[in-house]
Amino acid sequence: MQQREDVFMKLSLVNDPELDRSLTELGFINEVNIQDSSVTVSFRLPTYWCSTNFAFIMAEDIRDQVSALPWVSNVAVRLEDHCNEVEINNGILSGKSFFETFPDMAKGGLQGLRETFRNKAYLTRQEKLLQYLIRSGFAHIAILNMTLQDLSDVLFSESEGILLAERYLAIREEFGLSNKLDKLAFIQSDGKQLDIASFPAYLASARLTRLSMEFNGHHCQGLFQTRYNTEPLPDMEECTNESSTFI
Amino acid sequence: MFKTTNGEEVFVIDGHIALWDGSLENQLNIHGAQFINCFYDYHKNLSPAEYLWPKDKFLKYDAETLVNDLFVKGYVDMAIFQPVPLTDFYKKPFGDIEKNAKLAKQYPGKFISNGTFDPRDGERGLEYLEYLAEVHGVKGVKLYTAEWRGSSRGYKLTDPWAERYLEKCEKLGIVNIHVHKGPTIIPLDRDAFDVADIDAAATNFQGLNFIVEHCGLPRLEDFCWIATQESNVYAGLAVAMPFIHTRPRYFAEIISELLYWVGQDRILFGSDYALWEPGWLIEKFMAFELPEDIKQETGSDLTLAVKRKILGENAARLYGIDIEAQKSLIG
Repeated sequence: MQQREDVFMKLSLVNDPELDRSLTELGFINEVNIQDSSVTVSFRLPTYWCSTNFAFIMAEDIRDQVSALPWVSNVAVRLEDHCNEVEINNGILSGKSFFETFPDMAKGGLQGLRETFRNKAYLTRQEKLLQYLIRSGFAHIAILNMTLQDLSDVLFSESEGILLAERYLAIREEFGLSNKLDKLAFIQSDGKQLDIASFPAYLASARLTRLSMEFNGHHCQGLFQTRYNTEPLPDMEECTNESSTFI
Repeated sequence: MFKTTNGEEVFVIDGHIALWDGSLENQLNIHGAQFINCFYDYHKNLSPAEYLWPKDKFLKYDAETLVNDLFVKGYVDMAIFQPVPLTDFYKKPFGDIEKNAKLAKQYPGKFISNGTFDPRDGERGLEYLEYLAEVHGVKGVKLYTAEWRGSSRGYKLTDPWAERYLEKCEKLGIVNIHVHKGPTIIPLDRDAFDVADIDAAATNFQGLNFIVEHCGLPRLEDFCWIATQESNVYAGLAVAMPFIHTRPRYFAEIISELLYWVGQDRILFGSDYALWEPGWLIEKFMAFELPEDIKQETGSDLTLAVKRKILGENAARLYGIDIEAQKSLIG
């Protein structure tokens, strides 16, 4: 039982890059099979056509996360019901890169794609927290001057805000940005400061990124549910944006 | 024609419809089965329960069903066929230009029968474009850039051959280029939904209109950015429309962003029939109002005048349709 929990804990760290949600939360993990030190993880996606590159990223991350467990010696990943399942599963099994798996169809690695989508995730998580503060009545200038200490004081008893802040702080850390309490709460993903003059434009473009990601999230979630006749997934936290009376 | 409770008439052009054949007999391989299954999941996921079709009807429906759903039950005055051939998945084309053209002939003034091209067809395809212009008089093409062709998984509008095709379109007066981004395109390490190639094409071909289907979703941010730069880029609402039922708040957000960035003159209604029936989409759209907070945030409003543009006037302008003349023809 402990082994299973270990594996699921690791799988909860694997994200769908386009949706910035973990595979366990999305219900994409179909089966986990453990035989001594060998683990097989099956996963499935909302459509047969889901982008091969994102599917490969997820398969690679599943392998790498589960392999990191000290008692695991072998990890097999089985993507199911997908147009490139054979290539992806074999590629992952033999430790090939994406380029080696699809030599005629890829020019390089997936690092660039990964970074693009982590940046979108950063913006999305930040925008949601920003909108929350704006809805709560904070002026732009007050928001830009906030330190992380100020932010935590503001959010002291608000569960929605705390949830949004936790996700935002986690991605700041992932980006190598310091989360010390005296640091400015809202900066760009490359560490640059935001300025008041361009802040409305920054917000407008962040809103579009967030909207795209959320739209896709709902679309994929619904398709997955329809495809596999699963129970509706618990609504993603994104939906809380639909109402400010969430708490 | 949709009539409001005040008796105001709204002329409707459905900018995105199909008469497809996804039947078992027509499927060439597993991909053909999976393609139509995926469509059916789209249909089931976003349709109201009372408009769900049984699977066998969805695989292949006849022309009378289409005519009835559009023109009798669906408020549609004119509809634009956007065929996708998918000949690597189906024996006969999934969306068939000849079949569409036949139906258009049978119902004069009701259909615009668009063509399609695939730059991987080389010289032969350029001749085919001439045929489309001369014999069928097409004014627009539907491009599915993720269509499989042998070992190829798609193309970009910036590919040298694609540029030759676009040049040819411009010469032949095929001015409306409906672009549909799908998930399987090469190089596979790039984001397949990336709309950057549309930006380049729109800059290079100022005489063409680029209607980006499902308004660039799921890359709305990139699409809106391009559309603000290029005045010949339009947003097609196919796939975004049915969210009006399942996720009205998202629909409101998307449409208000499009109004803000792209503008009310460059948004086109499309039901994506038979994925969704236009009747319920139009009823809900006409009854729809933007929530107050969204109006304030984006400064957009969905007034009757704006709805008229989206539902018909914008497409009419692109295709040279005189709405008043068309109305009297129908009357």
